[in-house]
Parts: sequence; C-alpha cells; structure tokens
Amino acid sequence: MAAKELPVVPSARPGTMAAGAAMERIREQRPVIDHQKCNLCRECLLYCPDAALAVDKGEVRVDWHFCKGCGICAVECPVRAITMVAEYAGNRGFIEK
Amino acid sequence: MRQLLNGNEAAAHAARLARVEVLASYPITPAAPVMEKITQFIAEGSLKCNFVRVESDHSALAAALGATMAGARSFLITNSQGLAYMSEVLYHVSGLRQPVVMAVVNRALAAPHSRFPEHGDVVAQEACGWVQLFCENNQEVLDSLLQAFRLGEDERVRLPVMVNYEGYIQSHTRETVDLPEQEAVANFLPLVRRPVLDVNNPLAVNTVTGPELYIDYKYQQDAALQRAGEVLQEVSTAYAGLTGRDWGGPVTGYRLEDAAIVLVAMGSLVSTARIAVDALRAVGEKAGLLKVRLFRPFPAAAVRESLRAAEAVVALDKNIVYGAGGALARELRAGLYGLATMPVYSYILGLGGRDVGVEDLTSIYRQVREQLGAGTTPAPYQWYGL
Repeated sequence: MAAKELPVVPSARPGTMAAGAAMERIREQRPVIDHQKCNLCRECLLYCPDAALAVDKGEVRVDWHFCKGCGICAVECPVRAITMVAEYAGNRGFIEK
Repeated sequence: MRQLLNGNEAAAHAARLARVEVLASYPITPAAPVMEKITQFIAEGSLKCNFVRVESDHSALAAALGATMAGARSFLITNSQGLAYMSEVLYHVSGLRQPVVMAVVNRALAAPHSRFPEHGDVVAQEACGWVQLFCENNQEVLDSLLQAFRLGEDERVRLPVMVNYEGYIQSHTRETVDLPEQEAVANFLPLVRRPVLDVNNPLAVNTVTGPELYIDYKYQQDAALQRAGEVLQEVSTAYAGLTGRDWGGPVTGYRLEDAAIVLVAMGSLVSTARIAVDALRAVGEKAGLLKVRLFRPFPAAAVRESLRAAEAVVALDKNIVYGAGGALARELRAGLYGLATMPVYSYILGLGGRDVGVEDLTSIYRQVREQLGAGTTPAPYQWYGL
C-alpha cells in the first residue's frame, strides 16, 4: 500500500484542530440552531471558545471547520434555540439542555 | 591544527566549527564543560551564537526545538538524568522532523546515584526516533558531531542526531585532536535554512492528528530514520575527502577476514577491544572486532554482512535493559536471525563506571571459546566482573 502524501513536518493551516481529519470525526455532537426561536442576541457568539459562530445574512451560522462541538452555545443560549445532536451513532452521549 | 583536547572540548570546537547559532542547554555533570567552552567562544567573539539560559533539560530541548523550527542551527548537551527528563521532548523533536544535534555524554542513571559512564541513559531512549551515533575517541567526537549536522539536515533525513561519548573516559581525558579549518568545514556544512515558523505563512504545527493520519506520519518518520543509515555512509565519505579521516558508515570491522569469534562493541570499549583482538591474534587466536558506530537506525544488514563468516559473536553491553539483557545483544540476535548457526554471547559489563580493561575482554573471549567448544547454548545474558 502506498503511503499518503503528507507534509514532512506534521502541520496544517491555522485554526485546524486535526491535520487532514474532517471535523465531524473529532466532534461528538454539533449545535443545531432553531432560527424561529433565535432572537439574534449574540450571547452564543460571545461564549464560543473557538469563534465558530457568526451572524451572517440575518442568521447565526456555524463554521463547521472550527466548531469542536463543546455545547457551550447551547447551554448559554437564553432562549434555548440551540440543540446539540449526536454527530454519528454509537457515541458516548451528549449534553442535554 | 592539532590540539590536546578532552571530549568535551572537542565537542565545543565542533559546535564552533559548525557555526551553531543557538545553544539552549542546562548544565549537568560530566557534560557541562561543553557549554562553558562554547560560551567562552561566544565571549571572545569566535562564535556568533545565542546562548539561551533555561531552567531544565526539558526546557533546553524545547528551546532548541523552537530555534530549529525558526530556521536556526541548534546544539545542546545532556546525559543521564537530563536525557531522561528530556524524554518527552525527544519525541516531539523527531516527530516534528527537526535536525537538532545533541552531544550526550553518557552517564549511568539513578538509583543509586552515579556520575560515572555507561550507555544506560541513551539505551533508555532507543525508541525516540533520533539518529544515535557512538564515538570511540575524542577525534571521532569532533568528526561525528560535524557529520551529525550534515546528516540530520539532509533533505532525505531531516531528523535530530545524538552523538554519544562516555563521561570521564572521553569527556575528561585529553587526546590529540586534529581540528579542520573553518573554511573547509563551511564548505562541507553549509547553513541550511528550513524555517517552519514563518510570520508570513502561519502554520498550526503539531496538530492533533486522528487515526486517519497518525500512522502515516509515523511511517514517514521511520522511513526517514532508515534512510539516515545510508546517508551516513555518504556523509562519512565526503568527510573523509575533506580531512582524510574515514570513520566508516554504520559499522566498521577490524581483523574480521578469518575471524572465528567476533567481539561487538560501541563507544570507548571499541578501542579497548581493538587492543584485546591484537593481543589474542598475537597468541594465534582468530579474534575479530565489529565496531557499531550507528545504534539507531540499527544497521542490521551491514552487521549481518560483516558477521556472516563468524562462528560466534560476543556482544559487550555497557547497559542493562532490566529483564531483557543488553541492548546490543538483542539487536545482534535479531539481525543475525536465520543465519545457520550464529550463537550470540551476551555480556553486561562496565556499568556505572566499572573499569573494563584489555584483560577483561581477553578473559571473556576465552570463556566464550570454551563454551563454544563445549557446544553450550549461550545464556540469554550474563553479568561480568561482579
């Protein structure tokens, strides 16, 4: 089997948690935003440790490349507009609101 | 230019001739005089180098790693407890493929506390992914260190290199050492700039790496380490063209042509064993010697080729891997596996500075000859000189 092409020095572009790995494989859960409930208060933007949330075209959106699925946004959301859902079956559970 | 230098002074001169740019090191006996000598070179203006004062060996190697990633040529020294303390960072440096060069002035590990020589400290780091070279005298310390920079920085290798020599036996004993001219060394060893840390091209280095890629990185790293064995031969030949001194590649044989029983050793023991072989030859014994210069990557193919015609091999180990025996003996048995009959006798000796003289080695040779004659299966390992 041929070896994969990789940089000699294990590295990746800034902000990437895992070189070459899809973030879905790192996250155990991901935030799903109910835009009907969301009042655009931006609390989640302030609390997100990875600045993965932004308001874009009038809606809160997640940058999936940076979200590690910690669930802080869901806990902090004052109107409970964010739900954490499992990324894939068989994981070790996720934070419930 | 010939000078009377101890091993530490020879190492410092090597750092000066290699135009080392960063020295981040923490003092430890018996390696500290290398630092002192280099700082003297810096103070008198014969070397332009940043001396970074650090609070531990762990930090020393971390600083050397950072400096190398910024594109500087870095050097440091350590041994024994310091090397053990560096253990975690050793793996970072090799995994990040940074050609740091380090002189390891071999000394026994505690407990009980010891300041005296043996190879236990470096053998404990056999899996850390560094190239590991051993030197038998102070000239070889200087020459191997200069070769180490070129080897580690070679595009095909890009790995850190440890150059080992023994505390006191080499570090504090003066010998005539021939220093090459700075200009000649500069031609042999041009400064290689390969910065990873670049403000204009930011990178996340040492990223968390999942099961998708980790094993692939490790394959690349091991393949590079294996290549270092081949590149060493080239570097040694190029160095011989420069200075006339050829230390050979990974291994060197001595009186092996018709040798029946071959002693195998690393470090200062090689010089002793060479005299022992001469003494045995003088009384009609068919003794030979194999010097293992390169311990990692272990040159199994070269060892196999050199020992093919021998009747028995005697591994002289100045280390003990507790519960498993001598590191050299294990490598030899693995490397020689499958050759029709090749008993490997394994002796653990000289630990913590216990002196090993020519008579000890001739006595070991005779023990082996008797056991071989009696057809005894060699013990997994035995302790000598208790």
